[in-house]
Amino acid sequence: MNRPRTGRPAAYLRFLAAAFTANLQAVVEYRISFLIQVFGMMLNNAAFAAFWAVLIARTGSVGGYGFTDVMVIWALTSTSFGIAHVLWGNVRSLGSIIQRGELDVYLLQPKDPFVNVLASRTIVSAWGDLAYGYLVLAFLPGTGPERLALFTLLALGGAVIFAAVFSAAESLTFFLGNAGPLSQAVTEFLISFSLYPETIFDSGMRWIFYTILPSGFIAFVPLAVYRSLDWPLVPVLLGVAAVYAGGAYGLFRAGLRRYESGNQMGTRL
Amino acid sequence: MIAHSLKGPGRTGKPSAALRKYGTAGLVSLQSRMAYPAAFAGSLLTYGLFVFVFSRIWAALYSGRAEIAGYDRTMMVWYFIVAEIPAFGFGRFYYSLAEDMKSGQVAYLLTRPYGFTAYHFSQALGPALADCLVLALEGILLGLLLGGPFPLTTLTQGAALVLSLLLAGCLQFFLQFAIAMTAFWIEENAAFFWIYQKLALIAGTFLPLEFLPGAASAAARWTPFPYLSWAPARIAVAWDSREALLLLAAQAAWTAAAALLCRAVFAAGRGKITANGG
Repeated sequence: MNRPRTGRPAAYLRFLAAAFTANLQAVVEYRISFLIQVFGMMLNNAAFAAFWAVLIARTGSVGGYGFTDVMVIWALTSTSFGIAHVLWGNVRSLGSIIQRGELDVYLLQPKDPFVNVLASRTIVSAWGDLAYGYLVLAFLPGTGPERLALFTLLALGGAVIFAAVFSAAESLTFFLGNAGPLSQAVTEFLISFSLYPETIFDSGMRWIFYTILPSGFIAFVPLAVYRSLDWPLVPVLLGVAAVYAGGAYGLFRAGLRRYESGNQMGTRL
Repeated sequence: MIAHSLKGPGRTGKPSAALRKYGTAGLVSLQSRMAYPAAFAGSLLTYGLFVFVFSRIWAALYSGRAEIAGYDRTMMVWYFIVAEIPAFGFGRFYYSLAEDMKSGQVAYLLTRPYGFTAYHFSQALGPALADCLVLALEGILLGLLLGGPFPLTTLTQGAALVLSLLLAGCLQFFLQFAIAMTAFWIEENAAFFWIYQKLALIAGTFLPLEFLPGAASAAARWTPFPYLSWAPARIAVAWDSREALLLLAAQAAWTAAAALLCRAVFAAGRGKITANGG
């Protein structure tokens, strides 16, 4: 059983940058496919913007959220989701990697297997999600350098939370054998709840948004911070993201004790 | 081998024999879908979640309002439930068709004793109908819980709704088939499908056409998109026998036009197939 590999943070940042570069080079090799997927995803998201534009044009607001508010939570969720899948593309494949015994190859490498496995892939369409948030901001009134910087920090926190929750759900494979359906449910619910105004949901169920499906920390609180340029709350949100990341890491390490090698030959090129 | 003249045997003959052949293909495909009931879980979950979230949106939207664009809250909940059934059940034919094109499977299928289009039609529709049935049952339960009274009041309305859903399924298939066949010219054709999907969502799936601004709503009626979801949902929640007849006629006309389009695209593209033996 290997021990946690807690190298210097700078070394891990270099490793993440190298993984990012390698993944990017791999996807842009197929430029047309890359561009189609990126623009396709942006188009997909834009269809929902049309839906909200039509709806709010008729009523002025939904649950107290105006069009700009809805677009900001869309932008935050989309860019957070995009960053999570661009940087840590295996967050939603971790369960099948565990199930197929493909963790072996990561366990033999010097970097921490959790970080290594997550960062070893990028999702092409996620680049479209990432870009979409900034595209939305470009069309919203009041966007300037300060708001862009704030948005980027908030989206980074959201990305860590997305990655933490998805990877934690996938890590349940260590305990359940097949956590696929559960993980799919967590994914669907977390994305869906993050994309719609918090106020449309009954107050009795909103505690979920600040615990197991933390849409509150991905979209709703960041929206308030973005609206009022409330910088002091940013470190608090990043701290919350770190707590979720720590929880996901702890669950993975606990599960790794139960992992049995698949005796599978594998290489990473 | 360059197979410019792949025609394949068995595409003519008695209609009853063809019906048996394609009926069997559809049945086998349906049986294999039913063999893995857990495979329904994904679409049931997503559909249920969508219906729940949109029921909350309608609750917020209608707070303090009795109706918007001729629809009240109960109508909107049931509208969404019905409109999403063809979107979920018939909305993903493109992927298997595109896969057959990209993998080169199309060359192999053309030599088999069946018509390429008819075979795919029967194979796709069989399991899709099972999906729709399961989604409809879930939708009825959710509608009673979240919306209000069941909107169907007569057998005629029920029959018109079933017919409208079937026509929506056929129209979906032919349009998606035509899009998938553009791979004869442009292999990476997913963008066309995404645009098609989003137009369908905006023109009557998420919202009734009546919600759109006047010009957009009028323009949308001249396209096939409203007949994929809006027509059946309208028949379900705002029953008017005369309007229903017009909607069914428009659906039938668009389905026939889409079938002709898909035949023309396939005929134009099949000459481009190059098969290497082995």
